[in-house]
Amino acid sequence: MPRFLRRSALLRLFAAGLALVMVSSCAVRTDQIARDPNTVRIAVNGWVGYEASAEVLANILREEMGYEVQLVRVDEQPSWQALDQGVMDVIVENWGHEDLFELYGPDGNGTAVDGGPNGNEGVIGWYVPAYLAEEIPEITTLEGLKANTDLFRTAQTGERGEFLAGAPGFVSQDQGMINAFDLDLEIVYAGSEAAQITEVRRRYANQEPVLFYFYDPQWFQEEVDLVKVDFPDYHEGCDANLDDVPCDYPVYDLNKIFRTGFVEEDDYAYRFLHNWKWTNSQQNEVAQMIADQGISPPEAAEIWVNANRDVWEKWLPEGYENRG
Amino acid sequence: MATVTEPAGATDSGTRGAGGDEGLLRRSWFQALLVVVVLVVGYQLTRLAGSPPWASGFPGAIGNGFMAWLDGVYAWIVANRNDSPLFLYFFNYISVGLGSAVVLINQFLNGLTWLGVTVIGVVASWRVAGWRVALLVLATFAVFALTGLWNESMTTLSLIITSVFIALLFGIPLGILAGRSEGFYRAIRPVLDFMQIMPAFAYLLPFVLLFGIGNASAAVVTAVYALPPVVRITALGIREVNKGAIEAAASLGSTPGQILTKVQLPLAKRTILLGVNQTIMLAVSMVVIASVIGAGGLGDAIYQALSKINVGQAFQAGLAIVMLAIAMDRVTGAVGHGAHTPRIEPRYRMPLLGGMLAVAVAAAAVGRLFGLGGWPRDLSIRLDIPVNAADKAIESAIGPAAAALGSWTQSWILGPLDNLLSGSPWWLVTLAAAAFGLIFAGKRVALVSALCFLAIGLLGVWDNAMDTLSQVLVATVVTIALGVVVGVLMSRSDVFALVLRPVLDFMQTLPPFVYLIPAVALLGLGPVPALAAAVIFALPPVIRLVNDGIRGVPAGTVEAATSQGSTKWQLLTKVELPMARGSLLLAVNQGIILVLSMVVMGALVGAGALGNDVVLGLAQNELGLGIASGLAIVSLGLFLDRVTQGRRAPRA
Repeated sequence: MPRFLRRSALLRLFAAGLALVMVSSCAVRTDQIARDPNTVRIAVNGWVGYEASAEVLANILREEMGYEVQLVRVDEQPSWQALDQGVMDVIVENWGHEDLFELYGPDGNGTAVDGGPNGNEGVIGWYVPAYLAEEIPEITTLEGLKANTDLFRTAQTGERGEFLAGAPGFVSQDQGMINAFDLDLEIVYAGSEAAQITEVRRRYANQEPVLFYFYDPQWFQEEVDLVKVDFPDYHEGCDANLDDVPCDYPVYDLNKIFRTGFVEEDDYAYRFLHNWKWTNSQQNEVAQMIADQGISPPEAAEIWVNANRDVWEKWLPEGYENRG
Repeated sequence: MATVTEPAGATDSGTRGAGGDEGLLRRSWFQALLVVVVLVVGYQLTRLAGSPPWASGFPGAIGNGFMAWLDGVYAWIVANRNDSPLFLYFFNYISVGLGSAVVLINQFLNGLTWLGVTVIGVVASWRVAGWRVALLVLATFAVFALTGLWNESMTTLSLIITSVFIALLFGIPLGILAGRSEGFYRAIRPVLDFMQIMPAFAYLLPFVLLFGIGNASAAVVTAVYALPPVVRITALGIREVNKGAIEAAASLGSTPGQILTKVQLPLAKRTILLGVNQTIMLAVSMVVIASVIGAGGLGDAIYQALSKINVGQAFQAGLAIVMLAIAMDRVTGAVGHGAHTPRIEPRYRMPLLGGMLAVAVAAAAVGRLFGLGGWPRDLSIRLDIPVNAADKAIESAIGPAAAALGSWTQSWILGPLDNLLSGSPWWLVTLAAAAFGLIFAGKRVALVSALCFLAIGLLGVWDNAMDTLSQVLVATVVTIALGVVVGVLMSRSDVFALVLRPVLDFMQTLPPFVYLIPAVALLGLGPVPALAAAVIFALPPVIRLVNDGIRGVPAGTVEAATSQGSTKWQLLTKVELPMARGSLLLAVNQGIILVLSMVVMGALVGAGALGNDVVLGLAQNELGLGIASGLAIVSLGLFLDRVTQGRRAPRA
């Protein structure tokens, strides 16, 4: 069988060659991927507030500081993975995620660094439309909600009331709260924030009841009148068991997360992002232009940047003009 | 007790019916009806008995163990990605290589500037496909530029080039091997089936794990998705090469290598190009889905527009994808049949090629000289404003009626069907599945069907799988009904067919992301908008197949029927539809697989079920849940595919 022999000889040669390549070549880490030089890679998570921050930063990095910027749309948790793999440089608005920080932070893989607060404060909670709260004022209290869960029944949830959750990737303790407060509710995932907002908008227009997961800062808060349901305040450790959470969401001091290597390079881009800090209302100005007035994100960022030079000038690191 | 014996009875009657001559019982639709009746009776009995333990859901212990094990694998990979040799010397090479390739191609395209890219594209497509196609390519580039999406389009193009290259690099040799060796072909066929049935959405997660977030995974996922047709069609092409030609070459003393390169490949060239065409089309559609795992480009533009519920912007990017897909299809298609290639005498060929190269270099040089880069964003046309206005208008016009229809479908069709499937004892549903397999496709498929359902149960996602199955069934019925009606109309009128064809092209290539959100606005959140999107997505091929099937009925047969006094209705139901049976079956099969893939994506608008678990697995890094659900989707797909492929499957 000469052909077979020939083939197996070929195979052996191939295997030997492969082994040779492997031994002689260096180990490859994913952060060695080719990238455009002079480029900052910012993860963009799926809500408009985040995008507003990212676009404004991108605009200043590009126009004022002469960097290239890639904005890459990924979910929250995969963005941490991307930092870990070295394919992304920064998350500009992180909501909590202590578990991920443990995994990738200095005590874990050591690939991500807490970059400190970005100045925004985040509130997550359960919301109902204002017209519903006017009609049944007690609905915004725990007892009132418990007595009225039948209001939220839909064709899909049947006997139980519907709790409309957002994208599956968002921070959530809803099931724990439903269990702890013994509410007759079923979580329905909207699957994406876009779908959730579309649905709330539709019911709002028809003045139908709806109870849903939402948060602030969020541009949609400006379009509709929402009331947050009151739950017992958050205290340290009350969300330790996610199946039984007898408290509201904490108020988050939103922070930045950097790739460790990005911090170590200590480039002007890093120093700029490190200095950056702005308020909820500043973020909302941009977010509203994007979402409400249909201005494209880069344009909205440009409008804000042109009008607020005094605000962002303080973020620029010293000596950036002389950057080679 | 009754429930225990009944399914066995139904299965028996199925066997007898298939073999014997019992009139009504012999008809497969009647047998199928019997199975359904048994299932409903079983469900009602279970409910009356108050859900006794012997009729409870599938035991979850094994599934939970499997998921926990996978979660362990995930944790290990996260902790070892930058230490383990498996990653350092293997996976990371691939991801760095591919990720870099995408970036470098993109840089190259940017370096050519928009002028260079356009000139090269138009000139090259004129040379291989004639001036009509060249005009189409020009129009495509114009859409890229005028929608302000030039850079995004170039990123998408780089991603497509990279992944199609990998798909062909592996696909063509595999296809050649499969064409030359029967054993290899048999071994590889189930793998290809598996790849084609698995909805793209379900296999994003494992690839992200191995190759990381971003373009590298996107390229691998796209290549995997686009690979099967080129393997199949290459194998087919090699097999179809005239035996006589091969023997003649062999008798002249050609070596096997010479036979391959001098006889088989040249003769199979046209067919192989058809496979390349199919691969490119699949790659275009997958590139959009890959935006979920951080691939940039047009898919990302759609995804971002949708997060702001800006249907108009999403539509613009969708239009760019449609143009890209149609242009690539026409170019590769024209290379395939070579019909419109301009005739150029051999002696002018080299000078022409040189001239074209010179023009391309000159265009790129001019572009660089003037520092053109990407198309300036200011010079763009805003399509999004009229589209958004139209969307709003439709919403206010038919919104209330559509919402009522949506909730009616939910409460009267989907809800009860889901209750029936997930409320019945799991073994009864499994037996029913086996019975369907037996009725429509024989013993082997019956076994496969039963195994598929067992696997779903063992994976620990039974309830969600039944939910998904009910959604798929409803959407498929609607798709087939609409598809047959429109397909028949299309086959009746040439004018209608002419008008419909571009519409179908558009529907088929428009990324489903674009119409998911408007569907929510109209029909309300939940499975119903996902089903509507699935119907839109699956209709075009069904319509085409029905149309082709009916038009393929020999004119003589139709004339004979007409001359014997058949009415038009009789002609359709007694002659044309039965004779087009093969195409109709294929249409059902295609429809079901497409619906399944779309229903999974419907999780993005609240369809829940298995798709939601896949999304959850991706977003929350729950590998166990994500993979178990993905495998359950494959099992459902395998069951639906095998049952609808019918008895012809083994020979096909």
